[in-house]
Amino acid sequence: MEEFKRNNINILLEKTPATPRFALNLFFKLNKKEKYYGINSLLARLLLQGTKNYSASELALEFENECIDISTKAKQDYIKISLVFLNEDFKKATSLVKELILNSTFDDFEKEIYKIKGEITSDLDNPKLKLSDAFIKSIFKNHPYSSCHTKILDDIDKITKQDIIDAHKDILEAQKTLVLVGDFENKEEVLNYFEKEFQFMENGIDKNEIEDIFKNDIKEDEIVWLSKNDASQAQIIQGWLVDSFNSPMCAKIAVLNNILGSSGLSSRLFVNLRDKQGLAYNVRSQYETLLHSAVFSMYIGTAPKNIQKSLEGFKTELEKLANEKVSEKELKGAKENIAGRLKYFSQNNSQIAAINGYNHIMGLGLDYNTSFLKEVNNVTSDDVCNVAKILLNMPKVITIIAPDEYKTSF
Amino acid sequence: MAEITKKEEIIYPYLEKPLSVYTFDNGHKAVLAYKKSPLINISSWTKTGSINENSENNGVSHFVEHLLFKGTTKYPAGVFDRTMEENGGIINAATWKDYTFYYINIPKEHFKIALEMHADMIVDAQFPKDEIGPEFDPNKETPKEKRERYVVIEEIRMGEDNNWRKVYKNLNSVMYEKHPYKREVIGTKEIIANISQEEISRYYKTFYTPSNITTIAVGEFDEDEMINLIKDNFKFKDNSNIEKCKTDEKIPEYKIKNPQTIVDHADINTGYIMMGALCDSAKNLKETIALDLLSTILGDGKSSRLYLNLIENVKNPHYYQIESCHYQFKDGDNFFIEANFDPNKKDIVVQELKNHLDNLTTITDEELKKAKKRAKVNFAQDSELVGDIADAIGYWATVCDDISLANNYLSVLNEINKEYLEEIAKKYLNPNLVSTSLLLPKGEK
Repeated sequence: MEEFKRNNINILLEKTPATPRFALNLFFKLNKKEKYYGINSLLARLLLQGTKNYSASELALEFENECIDISTKAKQDYIKISLVFLNEDFKKATSLVKELILNSTFDDFEKEIYKIKGEITSDLDNPKLKLSDAFIKSIFKNHPYSSCHTKILDDIDKITKQDIIDAHKDILEAQKTLVLVGDFENKEEVLNYFEKEFQFMENGIDKNEIEDIFKNDIKEDEIVWLSKNDASQAQIIQGWLVDSFNSPMCAKIAVLNNILGSSGLSSRLFVNLRDKQGLAYNVRSQYETLLHSAVFSMYIGTAPKNIQKSLEGFKTELEKLANEKVSEKELKGAKENIAGRLKYFSQNNSQIAAINGYNHIMGLGLDYNTSFLKEVNNVTSDDVCNVAKILLNMPKVITIIAPDEYKTSF
Repeated sequence: MAEITKKEEIIYPYLEKPLSVYTFDNGHKAVLAYKKSPLINISSWTKTGSINENSENNGVSHFVEHLLFKGTTKYPAGVFDRTMEENGGIINAATWKDYTFYYINIPKEHFKIALEMHADMIVDAQFPKDEIGPEFDPNKETPKEKRERYVVIEEIRMGEDNNWRKVYKNLNSVMYEKHPYKREVIGTKEIIANISQEEISRYYKTFYTPSNITTIAVGEFDEDEMINLIKDNFKFKDNSNIEKCKTDEKIPEYKIKNPQTIVDHADINTGYIMMGALCDSAKNLKETIALDLLSTILGDGKSSRLYLNLIENVKNPHYYQIESCHYQFKDGDNFFIEANFDPNKKDIVVQELKNHLDNLTTITDEELKKAKKRAKVNFAQDSELVGDIADAIGYWATVCDDISLANNYLSVLNEINKEYLEEIAKKYLNPNLVSTSLLLPKGEK
């Protein structure tokens, strides 16, 4: 991957010979708290709902007639427009995405609000999504990262079309990154094309107004219970706010996460809670890094009568990591597994564009994956013990969805 | 040791080199595909799934899939998982109606140990009783030793909380008269809690025979080295003397004989619907491609008929999600419409979806062109990742029993015109020949 700056546009290019489809990603950094929860999600959706020259249905036909796959997503730290298209459709795809960004009218504003409300109601029928929604709300409190389904439902009717126009203006002034991965013939031609046609991707100034949310922002353990009286399973997420990629702790947490519950079928949670105790089909840990915070969490879906046992299992596994050094073999295996997973998720053009674009917009640099793996390689068994000890001593958030009759069982 | 009796080269669209397809004298097949990648994917596809089950052992195919990870003579439970993952591998398996497959994605420098352990797991599964766990009555007792039986029961429980899975399970059960496809692949808690180790082992020995298995390797490797490793490591045992498992009669059903509507309720706020039709076998390439195209036109994406007519171009749509899909099976494909909707509009929804099926008897040139391009792009997309290439080859080898059909796909696609699509829509997607499954909030009639 190579990095270029043309007319103050950040352009990342990687040539992948003999691939039939390009991946193009445009990143717009979010640096302001939303006036109302849901503004950024609504903006991302409305970018596909009509421009000065195309109605929403005409746009859908323009893209899909040529099999140009497009998605627009608002994440916590950025809005991303992702496209994948056949090499022969380069001009068409790039012209259309330019049209979306420069000429969206947001006229379908009310209808899109109506659609979002329906989709959220439908999503909340799913106990796992309902649980995850409650967890996000609890762990991030009033921070912008707490933007979740139920908060969006509470706020969405307050949003005006002007709010969307303002948010659109904000992203055009924000920091941006453009990534193209595919089999282009001439690098200079591609760069000249973007320089001339994509002036709207000119990089803005970093005007960050979002505060970090730290681990000590959670003062005490919090348990959130959600009723689902016809549920066959109880589902639990237990999590902590932890350090993110800008901290030396990041690689250490990543290694602990791998050993505890994210390596696959041989992680400790998988072996000890699933294989040996038959508590679950699905049990794992997860480390999600964001610009202003990070979350380390454990998840299990279990029979409702096993809630207490599962929570004890989480604690026991963390205590083992805190009190007994992991063997050099297990530590080495975790490091190899992290490297293998990075390769696995960097295979095709879309994945390469997504990973590199993300690293760039987050300010991590294009060699971040290499430096991260170096840091991972330096992690010791003492580091893993220390991370486990820190987690055991920090307040946590536990969210549970289950039938009410099991509420007193833990 | 098995010997190679045949080697064929099959051209596969979007791959740089033809596939090498080897057949051994015991019937075992190996397919080697070249793809430049830092990873190698190794998988074995067994031609068994719920298609070979009966009412006494429903779910055993999937249970066997779990238990293949529970140890061999050489490697006790856990060693395979740990060795693969500490070498950077990603491993898993899946069971469906026609097949069960096991795969490893691993950095290419570690492929030898991966191949050796993968082969060992396929040919020498031991089904240790202490890993399976004791038999028990799931409605009365909780066993002290909760092992893999309980893991699968948790998986069943997880499915019970999935609204789409409930709707699909109910629809699937009423689409067929007798065919084993009518059962859920995962089986029932009662069968999983009670099936004996001997019965599980007998099922494995009946169906995990060399002629029933295709091993696939995709990535950058020396072909001679890979085929020799496969030859040396797949040491199948002779299980021809065992009393084989009985299977139900499998008469393909290509049309729903008795269309039904099944309604279920849950603690939810929106309605879920699936409408399904039965079609010819996936091996009927031209018809299968036509059904893919019809599904694209009807319900794939925001420019599809269902999305445009029922969501995008309606002021206050009563649908939240809507799409169509086409599942391919050896004994007859399924075509579905699925939607999530405002439950107060249930009756209108059923009628609107049937009307859209009925309207598929008229196709425009633009729709045909768009659907054909989508089919070509999907084929190209499935050739991007080593895992996706292996999955596609596995499908052609097991469901269609003929890998060379992959090479015919694009030429048959080109032959299809809109009159043919309309004919297939008339033949299979008659709204009077579909069954319907609804999941509604409690209290909704």
